[in-house]
Amino acid sequence: MTAPVSTGLLARIAALVVVAVLIQISVVSEVPVFGVNVDLSPLLVVFIGLLCGATMGAVAGFALGLLVDLTLLQTLGVSSLIFTVVGYLAGRLREVRDPQAALTPLLVGAAGTAVASVGYSLVEFLLGVDAPVSLQLLRQVLLGVVVNAIVAPAVWVLVRRALEGSLPEDPRRRRRHRTYTTGGLSPLSRA
Amino acid sequence: MHDKTVRRRRAVLALLVVLSLILLTAYFGEAPSGRLHSVQRSFLTVISPLQDGANKALKPVRDLVGWIGDTLHAKGERDQLRKQNEVLRREVIAERGEKQAYAELQSLVGLDHRLGIGNYRPVTATVIGKSPNLWYSTVTIDRGEADGVRVNDPVINAEGLVGKVTLAASDGAYVSLITDSSVGVSARIGPGGAVGILQPKVGDPSDLLLQFLPSNASAPRGAMVLTSGTVSGRDDSLYPRGVPIGEVTSVNSESAYRSVNVHPLANLHNLDTVQVLTATPGSLPSNLARLARNLPPGAGATSPNGETLARVGGGG
Repeated sequence: MTAPVSTGLLARIAALVVVAVLIQISVVSEVPVFGVNVDLSPLLVVFIGLLCGATMGAVAGFALGLLVDLTLLQTLGVSSLIFTVVGYLAGRLREVRDPQAALTPLLVGAAGTAVASVGYSLVEFLLGVDAPVSLQLLRQVLLGVVVNAIVAPAVWVLVRRALEGSLPEDPRRRRRHRTYTTGGLSPLSRA
Repeated sequence: MHDKTVRRRRAVLALLVVLSLILLTAYFGEAPSGRLHSVQRSFLTVISPLQDGANKALKPVRDLVGWIGDTLHAKGERDQLRKQNEVLRREVIAERGEKQAYAELQSLVGLDHRLGIGNYRPVTATVIGKSPNLWYSTVTIDRGEADGVRVNDPVINAEGLVGKVTLAASDGAYVSLITDSSVGVSARIGPGGAVGILQPKVGDPSDLLLQFLPSNASAPRGAMVLTSGTVSGRDDSLYPRGVPIGEVTSVNSESAYRSVNVHPLANLHNLDTVQVLTATPGSLPSNLARLARNLPPGAGATSPNGETLARVGGGG
């Protein structure tokens, strides 16, 4: 199920992660949309998982989480833990279901953001955050999911384009392709 | 072959989760001077030039998007400001007389504001990064220990209080905004009003909650909330007295204490330039901050709401 990963792919993912974090903290975080910020991190992790599989998704999630925690003075390990799980789940979705629908990036992006937001809230409560919590939190989480879902298709296109050429070939997809082209149903075979 | 792949995949997941948990536990348990905090500080030193470059390169994009948003909000804001202007004009007229009387009384008693902002050495800094997370409201600035910036230094901008320095490296520093869940500010409603602790409302980044006010505290809507010039705990920043923070939007009286919702004056979503109020060693603010830090638990004056106060400002 898991194809070997090339050095080229690793380098591209590393570059993507660093550039995304820099853009996030320099531009995206400064521009609120409907009162919340677009968070590129969960989208990036989810899409790497969706394109490269569970192992790569988890590794990319861990690395991005660590970079985010280091860069933004957050409690080390919180983002790594959350994004590792998010990347792994996205990768498993690809390996088990391999969704091909046009709305997949939007739905998976929204789901990844929701899991990350709820994960953050749970970890912060477990760590004993010393602040009153209102129902506004739920509103902010939902708004964050909606805003991230809106930008998810664009981020998906960019991530796919950045990784294209180095992606491991999916055995399931390869099998499906072979059946189609040799089973007599292909328009090419009729020609 | 399949089993091996599955085992490897699960092993990688388990390893990364365990690593994250070890990091989390170690970081959470150690002191701010601990090893992982030092790593974070060193990382800031390495990455701040990169952040600075990215911030400058992407500023036109940020400005363009910000301009679109600002234009959309400008009309509503203009109407609101016109109404506010009328109210303020009336207040100014009323307060002119009071101010004159106050100055006369002050010269009689010989009091002065010893801990005004003038006692600090303001260092102007550019914001080069901002956290997108709901739970962490931090920004990164391009001034650090080399410019005299120290942990717990207050940070302001032209509009009011912004936050405090949480971590300082040689060429950069992290500032926790007043909307960060880890920040609490001793504040009072208007000059001479009731003192409480101002904390953020998690999930509502544009709202703060001034808590533990006496139940009979006066908190009219629109009243200005200012720093009290006191600290409520050993790790608190000693904000200079009288820095504007926000204005009262509504009052809650659900328990024995009163709490009020406060809308911050500073636009924390769009910070570009801030000032860090640094204190030169040996100066009055520096000595008072050290004194406040070294207060034994329970020492100092106790306010009616139970807050332990290290009073630092001159005057009442």
